[in-house]
Parts: sequence; structure tokens; C-alpha cells
Amino acid sequence: MIIKDVLCPFCGCLCDDLAVEVEDNKVVDVKHACKIGASKIMGHDRIKAPMMRDDKNGEFREVSYDEAINESAKILANSKRPLLYGWASGLCEMMAKGILLNEEVGGIIDNTASVCHGPSVLGVHEKGLPTGTLGQFANRADLVVFWGCNPVQAHPRHMSRYSVFNKGFFASKGRRSRKVVVFDVRKTDTAEMADEYVQVNPGEDYIVMSALRAIIADKADVVPDSVGGVPKEKLVELAEAMKSAKFGIVYFGMGLTQSRGKYKNIDNAVSLITELNAHGKHSIIPMRGHYNVGGFGQVCAWTTGYAGAVDMSRGIPYYNPGETCSNDLLMREEIDAAFVIAGDAGAHFPAQSIARMSKVPVIQVDPFHNPTTEMANIVIPTKVSGVELEGTAYRMDCVSLRMRKLVDVDFPSDEEVLDKIIAKVQEIKGASS
Amino acid sequence: MQTITLVPKEQFKISVEAETITPDNFAGKSADEIGALVAFEGNAPRPLSELFDIKVNGSADAADDVKIEINGNVNRVKRIGEAMTAGLIMINGDVDMRCGAKMKGGTITIKGNADSWVGQEMTGGEINVQGDANYYVGAGYRGEACGMRGGKITVFGNANDFVGEHMCGGEIVIKGNAGIMPGVSNKGGKIVIEGDTDMPGSEMTKGTIIVKGTVKDLMPVYQREGIEAVDGVEFTKYVGDVVVDGTGELFVK
Amino acid sequence: MSEMVIKNATVYDPINNINGDMMDIAVKDGKIVDSVSGSAQTIDAGGRLVYPGGVDAHTHIAGSKVNVGRIMRPDDSRLNNKPRTKVTRPRTGYTVPNVYSMGYGYAEMGYTTAFEAAVPILKARHTHEELEEIPIIDKGGLTLFGSNWMVMDAIRENDLDRLAAYVAWGLLSSRGWGVKIVNPGGGEAWGFGKNVSGLDDPVPNFEVTPRQIVRQLAEANEKLNLPHSIHLHCNNLGKPGNYETTLATFDVCKDIKSKRDRQSLHVTHVQFNAWGGNHWGDFESKAEPIADYLNKNDFLTIDMGQLVFGSATTMTADGPVQYANARLLKARWSNGDVELEDSSGVTPLEYHPQSYIHGIMWAIGLELALLTKDPWQVLMTTDHPNGGPYVNYPMVMTMLMSKKRREEEMAKIAEKTFERTSIAGIDKELDWYDIAIKTRATHAKVLGIVEHGKGHLGVGADADIAIYDIKPDETDATIEYNKVEAAFRYAAYTIKGGEIVVKDGEITATPKGKTFWVKSTAPADGHERMMEDLKMKFKKYYSVSMANYMVQDEYVEHPYVVETGYQ
Repeated sequence: MIIKDVLCPFCGCLCDDLAVEVEDNKVVDVKHACKIGASKIMGHDRIKAPMMRDDKNGEFREVSYDEAINESAKILANSKRPLLYGWASGLCEMMAKGILLNEEVGGIIDNTASVCHGPSVLGVHEKGLPTGTLGQFANRADLVVFWGCNPVQAHPRHMSRYSVFNKGFFASKGRRSRKVVVFDVRKTDTAEMADEYVQVNPGEDYIVMSALRAIIADKADVVPDSVGGVPKEKLVELAEAMKSAKFGIVYFGMGLTQSRGKYKNIDNAVSLITELNAHGKHSIIPMRGHYNVGGFGQVCAWTTGYAGAVDMSRGIPYYNPGETCSNDLLMREEIDAAFVIAGDAGAHFPAQSIARMSKVPVIQVDPFHNPTTEMANIVIPTKVSGVELEGTAYRMDCVSLRMRKLVDVDFPSDEEVLDKIIAKVQEIKGASS
Repeated sequence: MQTITLVPKEQFKISVEAETITPDNFAGKSADEIGALVAFEGNAPRPLSELFDIKVNGSADAADDVKIEINGNVNRVKRIGEAMTAGLIMINGDVDMRCGAKMKGGTITIKGNADSWVGQEMTGGEINVQGDANYYVGAGYRGEACGMRGGKITVFGNANDFVGEHMCGGEIVIKGNAGIMPGVSNKGGKIVIEGDTDMPGSEMTKGTIIVKGTVKDLMPVYQREGIEAVDGVEFTKYVGDVVVDGTGELFVK
Repeated sequence: MSEMVIKNATVYDPINNINGDMMDIAVKDGKIVDSVSGSAQTIDAGGRLVYPGGVDAHTHIAGSKVNVGRIMRPDDSRLNNKPRTKVTRPRTGYTVPNVYSMGYGYAEMGYTTAFEAAVPILKARHTHEELEEIPIIDKGGLTLFGSNWMVMDAIRENDLDRLAAYVAWGLLSSRGWGVKIVNPGGGEAWGFGKNVSGLDDPVPNFEVTPRQIVRQLAEANEKLNLPHSIHLHCNNLGKPGNYETTLATFDVCKDIKSKRDRQSLHVTHVQFNAWGGNHWGDFESKAEPIADYLNKNDFLTIDMGQLVFGSATTMTADGPVQYANARLLKARWSNGDVELEDSSGVTPLEYHPQSYIHGIMWAIGLELALLTKDPWQVLMTTDHPNGGPYVNYPMVMTMLMSKKRREEEMAKIAEKTFERTSIAGIDKELDWYDIAIKTRATHAKVLGIVEHGKGHLGVGADADIAIYDIKPDETDATIEYNKVEAAFRYAAYTIKGGEIVVKDGEITATPKGKTFWVKSTAPADGHERMMEDLKMKFKKYYSVSMANYMVQDEYVEHPYVVETGYQ
């Protein structure tokens, strides 16, 4: 049986044109997806049953779901500063439950954006975000800029589906309808195929953007001969290309969010785009990593008023990245229990944060083994969202779509596990009040 | 004069939010009454008496006659002095984030280091940090147009990034070095950095920044005006940020 | 079988011509009934004011734009914070409240129904995800059609049946209630940073004019016999001198006839479109000619879009206007183009009484309401949160009821305002009945939901009832406006579907409301031509598959579906 129009549960592209062949309740083939997406859908070794251990260096013993859930609830209910982290590989429906659980336990809920596009959100607080849906750029853009991102590697089908090779209503020649420019500290694979590659000194994207803004504002005379490794003549040329574009789009990634200045790089990029709108039409969009990291930001925002890093210890949502993000707290050794679900802290957190997590109870909810499993005390396996479970996800451009269920498995969903933990926490807290 | 001495009973790991520690809240209260005020260690309410040894000498009718002395490291106690209007807080140790946030008056002296957001959204009063300060000295809250509007912050050591971000008024003096982007998005106020810094005054529309040390990267958006003396010392004067039609003044030694 | 009776209610129910009669209201199984048994739960209203539950026909409460506002504004989310209670979740936000505060805030004021003013079809799923989380109130959404490629192509080819078929399909896809048009054609022009300058300025690349878009969508709307008329945000919003466009736009639908007992055109937040002058320097109110037009023509209704001084977050599908605002005020700006469909923009603003521009805007909203003779023609709104947050409705209500209250506000406003508006000379003061019309009865009538139980207290209506702590016969609203505002701000009782959800201003229950949407059918051949065009557009231009596009049933947990056929 071939299931068409399947959505890929891997990256922020959220490609929805996949065709998956299912035989005897097993995925046997995936068409149209990139290698990484196909691999996720094909599936691999998974955690077979819930397990627990007191000593993180010891062996896990298999336990029942009830035991794992009850113990998790006990740990969380009795913590003073629990962290509920991850969320991005799950579905929106379970994220809402996670936020409720965080409310119940008075902890901090944070998602993978913390180590990824969190700074983009901080840039939005400063300047907003002039953007649109991916089809808008696909149909109209004649100037395509990749700044600090490498879609050839990180978002393999992006350039054929949305940004470079595809034909659009106003871009009938496909690739030839667009000029592609890459700004990066090194010549990436994406830079190799671009029309132009601009090398920026590491950590100096910010001043390059400011210089461009000055030139565009007709104040080129204050700009020095070279900024951030880019000669002034080149900056003037680039500014001219941007000004004369009919529709310019900037796609950006970790090259900006994780380099010197972090959110100020996004802040400045947004201002550059805003100012360019006096000349043509310009937009900007972050290349989100996980397929549903955007979904967490949306659900958290409508539920609490903030896109992530929400501290509920005082009973009212408090948000202050730099103070309430996962690593802010872990590096200060504040967290006394960690709940990691649909996200891999072990793989992405700095050593100091890992060190803290090694000292406190860690509960992991995930279908698969990953570095977080190495530090876990309780492991609860669940369905693979978007393959074994249907529900909502938000693409990188904030369009929400419904993921499909392709096969049946005998594991609970994230949401079911969260519901049970919430009920148990309420019971424990109710008993003590 | 009422003097209250607080000695932390333990070295807190999980941060304690103690916005109740202000001269305004303590004025005229006995040690028991002060002890009954509640702080939060993570999500757990804890009376101050559990967290500190509390001694009270003398009495006061109002905050301006109150002195609070904290003897010990409170590097995990946040929001001390929040919104205070008068009086004195002396911290003989390090202090955690948001010390003196929304301060309206009075004085806070920190003998050790101050963590991020010291003097956040301050409108008056004075804060002295004898050690180092972390990020966002005298800055604002995410999305707000203004950070510090009045008052004075002096850091005798070094400060981290974003000193005086979104400043609208007041004065900040950093005797040591400052991190990147001091005075970013400023609309007023004065920042003096006696040591080194990097990318000062980006998107400043109004205000004054004086740098006595070296600037690693000058923002490429400033109009050089020439040499000008400030308090008898010669600086190169720049005006900008030109992109935002700024008339801010940047003096670099 | 739950029964309730409200005794000694001073009832204003304009749909049923009840004007301050003292009566009992009987409720059974969530509906108003003739009478109930002796064992019914009794509430003694004690002669206090009783209105049908409030209905808001135009407000931005759910979906992509609202969430963009929240994400952009932690400075707003940190306001109006309340911790959870046994019954309520934590609340945040003033201009962009979180979903819980959104529902509780309306219920506290005695409102029980609110319609999201602008739903982009591609992002309708998001709208419904938020609507589902908003507690208590019943809701619906108005779907955007005014800059849509399918719409414009059908209009260019003069294919009304195909257009109607797309409208029907679009409403189904978005689970929408009605046809929303914002700056017709402008959303497409904005795709390349341009705008349309008026009704006859053709949309670049599509060769149709805004006039054609408005006209043909109105015709399609009536062919489909939709419960609501087209709901229109005019071209040139926010530009001095735009009142001429507004009047010309009214004329476009002058001869559109509906089979239903309602307007053929609803024009929204007209305050922003009733501007005279040529630039900010000679900017003035043109509420008078607009009101004049309304006084002479009964085929249309409008809503105020009243300004409230203080913080606002503007959010509209009028992309060009939002960009212009942001540049003018050097404010934060979020833009959200929706491929093939429309645009949007979100910008935080502050309205200052000392700005005479804002003063004039403030006056215009009130002038529109007070100069128009028929109270049913002008709905009270603030275009939340564009003119101001909905929690200010009670204040606006008192300004309509009391000249003295207006004068109190005027004392704070820049003098120049009064040279440019006639508000100071308006003595009219609306009464309890008029206010009941403007805050519930006419909203329900204009939306076409009266027959579905909203906006009135007749037998068969939903038992959505608001009891306010005020005795209308003993209260002079022209003087005791502070008391009136306090009473409207926190209801003594709000009853939703027969359940007490608010008592003495506190939320007591949080049932889930229902979502109104329309399922209509168009002629088969028109539908076929439409589908052919649609499939091609999905294949070539949309970035999502057609199979994944439509809102699925899972997103509307309590649907209330009205079916209509082609006329």
C-alpha cells in the first residue's frame, strides 16, 4: 500500500509530498524524501520498554509504564527547579500537555530553540519579522540570500522545493529566475553552487549588515574601506543588487544565531530587510531545524504569552532568555531534576550543562536511544510522531499541517504519557496541600 | 536609623527570588516580622528566617532611614532591592541577577560581583558594584522601548555585553572593560567606559558614550567630527548612528 | 435536564422589542424556554440590568497574526498577569492576551460569542487550534478572500459560478463563517511591495480592480445565500482623505439584494476609513458624510473601530498599511504574506491623547455611532486590538451613553482635535436599549446568527445571559458612568448555555464553546471549473499539497455547521 502526500517528520522544511510504501504494518520504502527524512521514516532500533536505574553508571532494569510514570511524577512533583526540555520532535498536541505539566510542577519549560533559533526570537522582540509563507518566496524571489546557513547539508530539499531550483508564478525560469548569494565565514557546499559567495570574517556579520544599511541609507561616506573582511566596493555592489531586486529573501541559520552578538545579528538583519522594503519587496526567514520546533514556539506563545524558556516557579509565566533558558540554568547548577522529551539534550548541550544533568534525576521520553539516554535514570519509550502518530506540526514558515500516521505500534504516545504524569503529579500535590 | 543584618544560612544553589528584601518592605518591622516575609527558592516558598540569620537594630518610620546589610555571598539570591524608593542596601559578597531592578531611589552597594541585569529598568537611585558585573547592566526587559531611565550605576570592575541597552536616561560608569555593544539602541543617558570595549553605540539615536580605553570594532555607521575635549581630556568625537538618523555622541580616546 | 430561572430581571432584548421590562427568564438544557419547574435553580436578579450575552462580530482573537503579536511582545505578555485558580489557567497579556485570558476577559464582561475577523485559508488550522483553546465563548472566523488568486482569476474570466464555488470551497477549507475582504487586491500588490490606490486601480498582474473584487464577491456571497454579508475593510485605510474611497465603496454594493433579512454589505472599523484632509497637517474627521450616507441607505452596516488611548497592537491583513505605520513610527514590524492568498502585518502602537491625530481618530469612532440615526447600523467595536483591547468596551459604552464622560476624556485631548471634528457639539446620549443593540443584538443580526440562538433572549435562544450589577431605573448613566463602567466590566453573572460561568466578576466555570462555520454548495459545473483551476494552482504554485491543505475535523471539536444552497 502506498500512502501519498506524507509529511516528513525531520526538518523545518516539512516536505509534504512524500510517498511511503507500507507492507504488513511496516514501512518498506520512502519516495521523494531526502536521505535523512527517509531514514527517520524507515525507522531504526528503538527502545523496547520503559527502564529505570538509580545509578547512572549502572544497568537499566525493565519496568512497567506505570512504574516509570509514577516515579517520574514523584520526582517532578518534589523538585524545586525542574526543567522540562525538548519538545521539538513531538506534536503540538503533546506540547500543550507539557506546558500544563510545567504549570503543575512549577518548573521551567524550554525547547531546542534554546540552542538553535532562540536568538532569532530575541531579535523579533527588538524588531519584528517581515516574512511570509515559503510559497510566497518560491513564486516571487529574484534575489535569494543564504546568510550563515547551509541548506545543501541541513535542509536538503529546500532549494528544490522552495528557494532556488523550483519554478514559480513570477519565476518561470526556475534557477535562472534568481540570483543566489551566500554570506558565510567559509565556502560551504551551498556557497559552491551560488552565483556569488561573500566571505565574512567570523563574528563580524553584524558590522557588515550595519555597513550595508548605511550604504542603503545613502550614508556610504561614513563606511570604512573594509568591513568584516568585505571590501567597501563589494558592499556597495551588494547594496545596489539588494536595492534593485524586485523581491529579495534572506534565509538565515546558525551562522548568525550562534556567532558573536547572536540575537543582535538577527535584529540587525531584520532592520536591513525592513529598510530595503523602501526600495523593493524584501523578506527574511529563519531556517528552523527540527520539523516542529516552530510548533513549540506557537503553542507556548498562545498558552503562556511567550515562545519558550518559561519559568513557572512563581505561578505566573516568567520569560527572560539569559536567565530562564535551559543552559542558563544548568550551567549555574540550578536544576534539580530534568525531564527530556522529543529532544536530545545530551547531544546538543555544553559540557557544563551535561555535568549538571549527570548529578540530578533525568527522565527521558523518546522512542530512540541517544546521548540523553546515557544520563537518564528513567526512560519511557513512545510512538514516533509523524510516523506512528498523527497530529499537528508547524513548518519553518509557521504554516501548520497535520502529520500522518503510517503504521500502528503498541507504544503509548507522548501525550498519553504526559497525561498520566500530570494526573499523578496532581494527585501527589493534592495530597500534600 | 534602622539597621537590618542578614547572614545567609547556606550557600544557595537553586536561585532564591527575594524581591521582599528592600528598605521599603523592612522599614519599621521587627526581626520576626522580617523573618516572616516570604522568598522563593525555585518553586518553594521559604520565609526569610529560614534563609537568613536576621538581626535588627534601631527603628525607622520610612525606607530612607533603613540600612540593610547582607554579610555573605548571595550569588544565588535575585531581585534584592527591587523597586526600592529609598534607603541603603550593602551586600558584602556577590549578588545574583536583577539586583536593584526597577529601583526608584536609595543606594545599593555590592562589594563583590553582580550577575546580569543589575539595575534593570532603573528610574532613580544609585548602584555601586565594586567587583565585576555580568550582562545587561542597566538594561531593559525584552521588547520594552526603554531600559534605564534615571539614576546611576558604577561598576568598578569589568562588565559583560550590552551595558545600558535601550538606555533612555541616567548614567553608567564602567571603570574596567565592557563587553560588546554598550549603549545599543540608546535614546538618551550617558555611558562612560574607562577600559576597552567593542561596537559601542549601535543604533543609538541620542545619548553620550565615552570610551577611554580601546575600541575593538568601531561601528561603521558613525560620522567622525574631529577632536573634542571632555573634562580636559581629548577624544575623537563621532556622531551617529547615521542609519537611524542618530544624534548620539561617541567619544573615543 | 438542568433548569434555571432568573427572577426580577430588567431585560433589554432589542431583537424581541423588550425595552426594560421586568420579567423572569427560564432556562432549560442550555436554552431559553417558556417556563420551568419549581425545582429550577433560582437567581434573583433583584431588578438589575439583564442583556443577552455579548456578541462581538469583529475582533482579532486567534491565529497567526495574534500569535505573532504575542511572540513579538514579551513587554505586553508581562502585563495583566494572574496566577491560576482552581478553575482558571494563568493569564497574561493586555493587547495580546494568552488564549485563557482571551476567553475569561470576554466572559467577565458578560460576552459569550466572538468572531475572529480575518482567517487566511492556508493558516486556518492555526486559527482553529487557538479558538479551541479559548475557553467559554462561542466563536467563528471570517475567511479572507479579497486578494486571492483563485478569486481574482475567476473574476477576470467573469465566471461567477466558479467564484462562488471557490468561496464555498474556501469556507469549507477554513471552516469559516463568512467572506472577509481586506484592502481588496492590495494584498496581492503587496506581494511586490505595492498597493492599490483605489477602487479602479487594477491589481498588478491580475487585471482585476478592487471594485470588481468587492462587487463579485458580494454577488457570489448572495448566490450562496451565506448567513453573513461580505465583511469589508476598505482600500486606503489609514490615509487622510480616504473617506471618498469609503463612500465610493459603499456604492459598489448599493443594488446588491439579499434573500436574507440583513445588510448586503458590512464595512468594518470605519473610523480608520472616515478621514478627511490631504495629509497629516490638515487631517480631519469625515464621520459626518459617512453617517449621512448610512442615514440615507439601509443596505449596509458598519462597526466603529473605536480608538482607546494607551497601548495597542495593530494587526491586520492590510500589509501595506502596517508597513507604513511601522516606518512612520519607527516601530517593530512583522509582516506575514500568505502565498496566493493575502498579506498581514503586526505593529505595536501607542495612542496618545496629546496627539491631535489620535484625538481626531478617537472622536471619529464616537461620531459615527452618535450621528447615525439607526442604532442597528453601527456596531460597537474597537477592532481589538487595533483601536485598543476589548477589555475597554465598557469604557466605550459609557462614552456613548454620557456626554459628560466624553467631556472628561476630551479634557485630556489636544485642543486642535476639536477644530477638526464635531464631537464636542454632539449631545446625543444612547440609552440601555441602544447599548444592547450595539453590543449584542445587531452583532448577531449582522452575522446572521440570530436564528441560531444568539443575541437575544427569546424562547429557543441559547441561554447566554449577562446580569450586570446596576439597576437601570435607578441609575442615571449620563452621570454615574463610573458605576456603569464598573458594572459592565465585571458582570454580576454571566451565563453561557445555561451554565453560570462568571459570578461577581470571577470565572466559575470554563466550558468549551462551539465554532460556527458554513458548508455551502455551488452548481456542479462551476465547481468543476473551480477544481480544475485549483488543482493546477496546487500543482504549480502552492508550497503544500492539496491533500494536506484543508482544515480537518479534528481541529473543530464542537462544530455548529450551517448549510446553505445556491440561489
